[in-house]
Amino acid sequence: MMCIKQIFSRTHRLKVGQVLEAAFTSSRCFHGEQQVSRESSALPIIHHSRYVCDLPPNHRFPMGKFPRVLHFLIKDQVITEEQVWVPEIASKELLSCVHTEEYLNDFFIGKINEQEQRRTGFPWSEGIVRRCRYETGGTVLAAEVALQRGLACSTAGGTHHAFPSYGSGYCLLNDLAVAAKYLMGVSSHKRKILIVDLDVHQGDGTAFIFKEEPCVFTFSVHCGKNFPLRKQQSDLDISLDDGMEDNEYLSTVETHLPLLLETFRPDLVLYDAGVDPHWEDELGRLRLTDQGLYQRDLYVMKTVVSRGVPVAAVIGGGYSRDNDKLALRHSILHRAATQVWRDCGM
Amino acid sequence: MAERGEADFNDILDDWFIETLKTYKDLHVYQLEHPTQVIEWTSGKTVCVAGYSSSKNEILELQLPLKLFAEENKGLCAERDFKVVHGGFTEGPVRCLRHVPGTRCVVTNDGLTSDLQVWTVGGDDSDVIRRTGSVAGRKTRKKKSDSEGGSRIAARHSSQVLHGAQSDDIQLTQLTSGQILYTPEMTSSDPLSSLQFVSDDVFLAGCCNGNVYIADTRASASPQLSPAPPGESVPWWTDAAAGASSGSFIRVSSSGRAEISDLRNPGAAVSRAQLSVQSRRCNPGHVTVSWAPALNDCIAVSGFSGLVQIYNTSGWGAEPQEVQPLFEHRGHAVSSQSDEGDVFVTSQLWHPERPRTLLSAASDGSVHVWDWVDQSDGDR
Repeated sequence: MMCIKQIFSRTHRLKVGQVLEAAFTSSRCFHGEQQVSRESSALPIIHHSRYVCDLPPNHRFPMGKFPRVLHFLIKDQVITEEQVWVPEIASKELLSCVHTEEYLNDFFIGKINEQEQRRTGFPWSEGIVRRCRYETGGTVLAAEVALQRGLACSTAGGTHHAFPSYGSGYCLLNDLAVAAKYLMGVSSHKRKILIVDLDVHQGDGTAFIFKEEPCVFTFSVHCGKNFPLRKQQSDLDISLDDGMEDNEYLSTVETHLPLLLETFRPDLVLYDAGVDPHWEDELGRLRLTDQGLYQRDLYVMKTVVSRGVPVAAVIGGGYSRDNDKLALRHSILHRAATQVWRDCGM
Repeated sequence: MAERGEADFNDILDDWFIETLKTYKDLHVYQLEHPTQVIEWTSGKTVCVAGYSSSKNEILELQLPLKLFAEENKGLCAERDFKVVHGGFTEGPVRCLRHVPGTRCVVTNDGLTSDLQVWTVGGDDSDVIRRTGSVAGRKTRKKKSDSEGGSRIAARHSSQVLHGAQSDDIQLTQLTSGQILYTPEMTSSDPLSSLQFVSDDVFLAGCCNGNVYIADTRASASPQLSPAPPGESVPWWTDAAAGASSGSFIRVSSSGRAEISDLRNPGAAVSRAQLSVQSRRCNPGHVTVSWAPALNDCIAVSGFSGLVQIYNTSGWGAEPQEVQPLFEHRGHAVSSQSDEGDVFVTSQLWHPERPRTLLSAASDGSVHVWDWVDQSDGDR
């Protein structure tokens, strides 16, 4: 742990590859394709151009939003290219800490039957496998970087409906679960991970995966009437009624988060900042505004960071036929994170 | 055990939800306290529905979810629910309901007598649908016929209503004065399954036995008869195309046999088909067949089961081949908690302008409005 701190501090810039080949015996290494080589003391943003893949024409999933999130952040001068960390593709080994071997084998080669494919919402393709692996790699890298820098955001992530042996609801691999499981470690002093899932849909896959795991606390705030109707049991579920607006929503989060941090005392927070509680979201049944989302993200990250706990954030869900509008909405997270970075003198 | 059943049902609903993301551009559901057998447009965004239980029923005007109509700015409109905008009570069941164009009136029939009830929807800031008149049928039916329909109704301009329970008691009544403007000269007395204007003055009278009469309200001559297709099971339902496929009319039998004819040559059949319907479960009185007003050659068929089927008739030939639907709306069947066979669609209605938007109602009280994705061609 000490080694990592020295090597990845601001004044020593080394490529990850070199570091790996160097004297690491305990295989703690960043899952990054290339290290941020220039001086960058700014908020780490995790992004990969391969977060996207081709989908059949008119497919409902807003695949185009991922590159647009980065595009708008740079265009609006919220971030620069130098802040971008590029993740590695998640290996089968990494994924196997959560997913079954059988599922991974089938998934990689496309042996997913029609019924299973239908439940995921995606037709299988090599492209979709690849993009999911990069996305998961991105969340893992965000978590690793957060541990070092205090705060990091991906421009994708939040695939919380994936279960160990099957996908569901546009989720094929559970990135948050993989990141949590991986960062938890295997030593006798496991890290404690708090997953704060504010996507409007319950994080059912994640809840199921960590049901018996005391070192991972799953907290989900979601709309009761949204998918999935068949709910799992998170460690703390807050089920909201349709139509809830900014103030009441914020109060709800404020009621629970500080107490959780106080009692569970996590070493790391993974934050799913889904924008589908927004009133314009096509699927979500709540009524948050842009301002509400910003206040929410600001509150969550500031509350965690000011307690000295690192937080890695992912964009979570959002559904709209206008990719640009949606990407801008997702970029609220990174703007709030930038504000937190500044305010907390990081 | 009950808990597990609920989890399984929720799982089915979740599967269905994911599927709808692909198969529908829009889908909104509503639950009535009591099922309706009628859905009728009263404006571009509102429909009238009414119950059919044996005693008192609600008659309601529903506003469709506004989100459905907000085209580019879908996000700007958060209103995703149906809304009850007007309501009232009837004394008996409502088996037929028609809006009188250009007015705020609807006309109903209870299926028991041939009399009609006239209602006014709202007005003067009221949210009530109230009974404001009645129209006597030409004669009281002496016995309940096979068709549960009672009087069929068609309304046209100037508050004129065409109605009748059998082919020989059809009359055109002026609502405001009560004056009878026209009665066709019919030789036979066939129970009707539909009455429909195909133009300002020409109308079709579809009979349960499959006969179709074409008449002109300006002419005193006897209506033209298009005889029932021979040898097929009864009853039959008829619909004439007014929009996209104008000039054609279709007949569908209780065994799912379909026949299309041309109004200009009604004696002959243009094309035929055998529809893929579960005819065993057919519930006469609830079968609805309707031409799409804005989608060429397409028809919607419902009432045989919990499905609404869309067929493209352009490929049909002279010999009745078995045909597969272009699209099936399974929403009522999937989301009904009763046994699979029990729920059936009671009514279905196309949007007058949007090519693939329909409303459907089922025996469990559900009402759906849906805009389906045509997956037959690569891109829409």
